[in-house]
Amino acid sequence: MSELIDENKEQVTENNGMSRRQFMTGVGGVGVGVVLGGMVTTGVLGKDDIYAIAASDGYLLVDSKKCSGCMSCMLACSLMHHGQTNLSLSRIQIVQDSTEAYPNDLHIYQCHQCPFPSCVEACPTGAMHADPKTGVRTVDDEKCIGCERCINACPYTPSRVQWNPIDKHAQKCDLCTNTPNWNNKEEGMLACVEACSTRALELTKEIPMQTGLGYDVDLGHTSVAWQTFGIISE
Amino acid sequence: MANGYIGKILTIDLTTQEVGEIETAKYESWGGGEGMAAAIYWDLAEDKTLTDGTDPRNIIQIMTSPLTGTFAPSAGGRVRVSYVGLWGWPVGYLTGSLIGGRLGSMIKFAGWDGVVITGKSETPVWINVIQDKVTFENATDLWDLDTWETQEFIWSDVMERELGEWNYLGTGRDDGRTTQRPAIITTGPSAEKYGPWSALIHDAGQAAGQGGSGGVFASKNLKALSIYGTGGVEIADPTGLMEARQWVRGFSASGNLDDLKTTAMSVPMGSSQGVAAVGYPEGMKARVHGCSGCIRNCKGRTERKMGNESRCLDFLWYSSFDMAAHKGAKTDAVLVGCDQVQRLGINSYPMMSTVLWLKALYENGILGVGKQIESSLPYDLIGEEEFAVALTEAIAYNLDIGADLALGLWQCATKWGRLEEDVASGWLPLQASGYVHHYDARHETEWGWGNLFQERDHNMHDFNYFVFWAPTIWGLMGMEPEVSAERMAEIISSKMVPFNDDPNLIDHSDEGIYSDSMIKLVRWHTYYQKYYKESLVFCDYTYADFINPYGENMEGVTPKAEEWLTEAVTAKGEKFEDGIALGRKIYNLERAIWTLQGRHRDTEVYGEYNYNPSAAPFGLATYEAPYTVPMRIDGEWVYKSTNSRSLDKVKVEDFKTRYYAAEGWDETNGWPTRATLEELGLDYIADELESYGKLGA
Repeated sequence: MSELIDENKEQVTENNGMSRRQFMTGVGGVGVGVVLGGMVTTGVLGKDDIYAIAASDGYLLVDSKKCSGCMSCMLACSLMHHGQTNLSLSRIQIVQDSTEAYPNDLHIYQCHQCPFPSCVEACPTGAMHADPKTGVRTVDDEKCIGCERCINACPYTPSRVQWNPIDKHAQKCDLCTNTPNWNNKEEGMLACVEACSTRALELTKEIPMQTGLGYDVDLGHTSVAWQTFGIISE
Repeated sequence: MANGYIGKILTIDLTTQEVGEIETAKYESWGGGEGMAAAIYWDLAEDKTLTDGTDPRNIIQIMTSPLTGTFAPSAGGRVRVSYVGLWGWPVGYLTGSLIGGRLGSMIKFAGWDGVVITGKSETPVWINVIQDKVTFENATDLWDLDTWETQEFIWSDVMERELGEWNYLGTGRDDGRTTQRPAIITTGPSAEKYGPWSALIHDAGQAAGQGGSGGVFASKNLKALSIYGTGGVEIADPTGLMEARQWVRGFSASGNLDDLKTTAMSVPMGSSQGVAAVGYPEGMKARVHGCSGCIRNCKGRTERKMGNESRCLDFLWYSSFDMAAHKGAKTDAVLVGCDQVQRLGINSYPMMSTVLWLKALYENGILGVGKQIESSLPYDLIGEEEFAVALTEAIAYNLDIGADLALGLWQCATKWGRLEEDVASGWLPLQASGYVHHYDARHETEWGWGNLFQERDHNMHDFNYFVFWAPTIWGLMGMEPEVSAERMAEIISSKMVPFNDDPNLIDHSDEGIYSDSMIKLVRWHTYYQKYYKESLVFCDYTYADFINPYGENMEGVTPKAEEWLTEAVTAKGEKFEDGIALGRKIYNLERAIWTLQGRHRDTEVYGEYNYNPSAAPFGLATYEAPYTVPMRIDGEWVYKSTNSRSLDKVKVEDFKTRYYAAEGWDETNGWPTRATLEELGLDYIADELESYGKLGA
């Protein structure tokens, strides 16, 4: 797969004169869904030589204005995946500046399950891949050689791919497809969503808009809960 | 075995700059927090009779619990700071304060269950803990900085990359990375100048305030502790913890966002989120904010970054004065008041009583320019930003009367020759042990009893929500009670294991407040406080949850939640009543320490205003309203006003005698007896008390 990606990278750039990021940006969320929906393989070359891999079945939306900064999502994520509450092992990151003004006092950084995942592309062994069943971008621990190319390839800051220093491999949000410490998990449940104290997180099957704040949206419920005490949320 | 504990406690000797470890297992039987700290204090204190909190031999401990660092709801983000305090009367007892935010969790993520600090540095320092590495940094240039400036400096010093990037805590690939900031606890500027008032502040508005923790830091030449880690907390039953959390959440606003209950009850667990917003001026945009792992989210951060993370008395100390000066509207003055106490690291709790006292002295011609007590603070501007700034800076920088106030309130009143008169009138309502009136012992009597027998204002609202707030609000609003007095008594009593066979525990009638049932309530409350609230660090703003609008038949999560959550984390098989028993053990250990510090029946006395029929009947705190409380009269439960009630000194003394007897203490002096200590497995403490001639007979 990695070879395909490398070859494709050249083809796309050379044949169309447009980078993949430009392509994704230009098409937008709806377009991507049309292009990628229903694919079950991890990477193909289309008729027009555009490389693509299967869309993820799900995406994590956040409402950063509604987040309370309690970090329960981070603690739940790490606990269900690793059996310990550990902010550094959480695949969602809440970063806060307590003396800053709302709403800039807090940011949520979650994996976008990118329709065109740089992390997958960067992996030399196929460890970082799109799961054939769900499309979620995830890591095969056994194949990871610890080169950290995926971590550096993630276009976002902080990188949504992280190094697990305990088990010595890269990891990222797998939409809870592999939570060995969550015995009674039901299909579609995410640890972070379940633990969230304000409903600031939500799983969607629709591919979010790839530009702007497509992943950080108004998830509702705000006014009822907050205005009891006069808090106004936009 | 994964049980919530990390396994080691960090020890730091500021005198020698030596660093060491204590195995947590040695103290695990005390739970964590206050219990663990008291046990460690007993073992490490060079002189247990020490009462001067500024003595270099004082020990300051920042102790977590097995739940800290988890998402046990409204328990995972708290930590207890313990020390010999600077405020108490007649001496500074071993005391402490709880603090929220992310400090406790970060201590555990750095690989520690707690931090024990002894000795005194020769020069100003701040302590930098990164995982298992401890360094002592020069704090000379930080000494005069406020709490926010100090944290900004340390964050920029410790973090190699910007906030929001992965910071590497080492040079190797596997040394750990985090997007988070170090958690810092710090004093305000030159906190030795106002030690008894000085709180330790963490982030914008998390504080350990009672007893002058910041002053203890300053006395050790210690400005701040920064802690940074990338580890985790291993939990016995992750699925069980998730299940327990979700069950608890069903009783909270968090779990009922589509069907919020409107209730006049100031309930703990079931209250709406963002309760801090009651302190904001109208129209303020803000987010609700919660400590690590919380579901209650009682705090907030505002669009103008004023009042961030403040709550309750941070606002209340000035809000009523602000509103009085502005036709009933809250203005930025209240937020300025918040930020002043947070930035200067001043304990907000005594501030309201201080303003009321100064206002009374000023309006009666005793205080002011050319008056008996000379002062040029702008008293005509009480309620305006200018006065909030002037008063807080007077205390922090010893300006005007600030040098006297900074001694502490009972010390200041003594210096001014006004202690006796002003406490008797209620102008200066020192309720017990030198701490100001929080809730009224004459009416909500259980609050007062709890304070009388402990070393500080216990600040535990377990009964307060229901005994005072709910019936008082129903009465003020002319509402039909949402829970009848009989049902309230039934629910609360049923949850007070092992005293749950007594249906009269919350009887606040004129007879009930001195009854044997009330003794049981005070005992249960103290035991619950000592273990669940201050050792396992369940948040006071959420627990105990007796009555809950989301519960079946209005029943809250206590005691099931405490037991379930603890078991999911520790798998010790501990029942709720085991925790209550352990609370009694912790209380007796502390009682022994207080006894060695000079505590005696004769020093467990109420301020005279509680006995004085001519003192103001209520309203010694601006948030108080005429008290309506539950009581049983002629066999019938009712809610009834107690506004004309004063305490009876003879009955109070009789209550003390019976309370000491119920605790198994010497009735003549309130000291623990050998029989009681041996029953609790504290033989070694009995031996030491005896060696000092302070074992109860």
